Amino acid sequence: MTINPYHDKRLQWVAYAIFFALLALVPILLDDAFLLNQLSTFGVYGILALSLSLCWGFGGILNLGQGIAFGLGAYGMAMTMQMQSQDIDTNPIPPFMLNNALESLPMIWEPFWNTGTGIFLAVAIPTLYCLIFGALMFQARVSGPFFAIMTLAMLSAFYTVFIDLQPYTNGVNGISPPMPLEVGSLVVDPYSTTSYWIVYAVLLLSTVVAKLLTQSKFGLIVRAQNNDPERVRFLGYNVAVYETLIYAISGCMAALAGMCFTFLTQYVSPSQFDVGFSISIVIWAAIGGRGSLLWAIMGAFIVQGAQSYLGDEFLNTWILILGFFFILVVRFLPGGLAGLVELILGKLPNMSKQQKSPGEKPVDKASLKEA
Amino acid sequence: MDPSVVLSALVLGISIGSIFLVAALGLAIIYGTAGVINMAHGELIMLGAYTTYTLQTFLGVPFFLCLPLSFCIVALVGIAIERLLIQHLYNRPLDTLLATWGVSLVLMQGVRLIFGSDPKYVQLPAFLSTNLDLGIVNVSVFRIFVVLVAALLVFATWYTFYRTRFGIMVRAVTQNKEMAASFGINSGKTYMLTFAIGAGLAGVAGAMFGGLNIVLPTMGMSYVVEAFLMVVSGGGSLLGTILASGFTGQMQSIFAFIFNDTFARFLIFLMVVIFLRFRPQGLIGSGDTRR
Repeated sequence: MTINPYHDKRLQWVAYAIFFALLALVPILLDDAFLLNQLSTFGVYGILALSLSLCWGFGGILNLGQGIAFGLGAYGMAMTMQMQSQDIDTNPIPPFMLNNALESLPMIWEPFWNTGTGIFLAVAIPTLYCLIFGALMFQARVSGPFFAIMTLAMLSAFYTVFIDLQPYTNGVNGISPPMPLEVGSLVVDPYSTTSYWIVYAVLLLSTVVAKLLTQSKFGLIVRAQNNDPERVRFLGYNVAVYETLIYAISGCMAALAGMCFTFLTQYVSPSQFDVGFSISIVIWAAIGGRGSLLWAIMGAFIVQGAQSYLGDEFLNTWILILGFFFILVVRFLPGGLAGLVELILGKLPNMSKQQKSPGEKPVDKASLKEA
Repeated sequence: MDPSVVLSALVLGISIGSIFLVAALGLAIIYGTAGVINMAHGELIMLGAYTTYTLQTFLGVPFFLCLPLSFCIVALVGIAIERLLIQHLYNRPLDTLLATWGVSLVLMQGVRLIFGSDPKYVQLPAFLSTNLDLGIVNVSVFRIFVVLVAALLVFATWYTFYRTRFGIMVRAVTQNKEMAASFGINSGKTYMLTFAIGAGLAGVAGAMFGGLNIVLPTMGMSYVVEAFLMVVSGGGSLLGTILASGFTGQMQSIFAFIFNDTFARFLIFLMVVIFLRFRPQGLIGSGDTRR
């Protein structure tokens, strides 16, 4: 019985290190501001795929509404940035509110005068939402497909409400803050290396936190309840608490991704709550490999990279192909590309000691397929 | 408050409830029998609408004939989906959900490539597009027609599943697949036919919704979430789905009257979440169903 190098913890960390080292080279080698901005956006998608992989691949909680936390974070950031270009004495109300005949700044916008408070709220509100919604659902032992449907329903509800509250959110037009984000004296120009490094740092931090979580005792229980919640309950653990926590941590990461997205694009709209966007997140994680953090990120890079490479005229055909590909992955390769790599590495028993080649990326934690 | 306003809200509630019910009926059957969460249900509804549109526009088939034809054509699509994909995934419920979600993406995109993204319209017979004045309330004849068809479909479904030999077989397979198989019932075939009926019902729903609204490749999405909520909060049974649709339809109508349509929708979703917190098994359903 030989050990699959895929399951070697040290090799996994090596693969992660190589992956992030390569990403760190990008702004040094690249001199195209537009491309850098696009790559930063891919990084945001990577964070999203990672957050879903944590909750779905490890916790078994399929969240079809990951766009909720992402969108709330994005709106929080947009509100903060919008208020930075308003003046409390001369021009206190954003222009779109004036167009919607609002006389004064709504209460919910007041805290966003302060950049620090605004950024804090942009993370805290989505996380709090996940805690409350998760607690409600998981305490009632709603799980599996039913939880997935409820998240989808909530996503749909948020979508309609953000369009409906036109005076507060500018409806379908969304919010486009006129100026880049400023934190203290630091200006986060979306086309600069600064914004790339921020996204890089968030991605690195989320990945390390997620990886450490999965290797901790907490992660063990999360994975155990994925396999058999009833048995974990008999062992005296409160499964609902673990489910809620992993769901909220995943939501918190998605909110961070949403905030990065807003300062990168200087634009946010209800399309962040669109079902199609949340489908994309699931597709990234599924194709990359839901059970592998690194491959989930890679899945986002590959799918979004291919999409932008093919260009807009092929977009409709591309989505069709993507749909077929997604069905095939679910049907024949539930582990995604990560599962494929695991399979190939397992077939190379004698080479396991030389398996450190950087091009191969044999990543990641123990597969979930076996209990 | 003016009694006629209340009455018209009630009548509208019945109409909304019947729409929910028609959308949810096929879903409830498939879920109740095979335990499959069919995320492509909305797109089957959309296919029904496009079938009706195509039959009407290119072949000149009258609207009333389009309803049964939509049933048959979409049922065939349902059989294809079941044979090619779902029959391999019956023991992986979360993956069935994902796979059918992929199917919904493919169907939506396929229809968009063929018909384009611009809205299409289903022509209704002249007498259905008129309004009926009942003295205090004024309702469109087509909405009454939808209520009648909903009642008819419920009766036909009930009859099929509770009064025919096929229905006994379906219920036997639902209760205990192995035991049913040992009595010579082909469970694979039973699932397939049930799936076909569920898909066909979505087709009829689509044919009617085409008359109610514009026909778009994305139209399925707007019905499917509500349909799921009806099935989940109803507990997956036929009666539960009927009750949930009727009740939610009324609530939607009342909330829409007090606030507005979208906020009413939000409130309904919130109510379902809170309802499930205290009654996760739904309105009707034993505590330990598939969950």
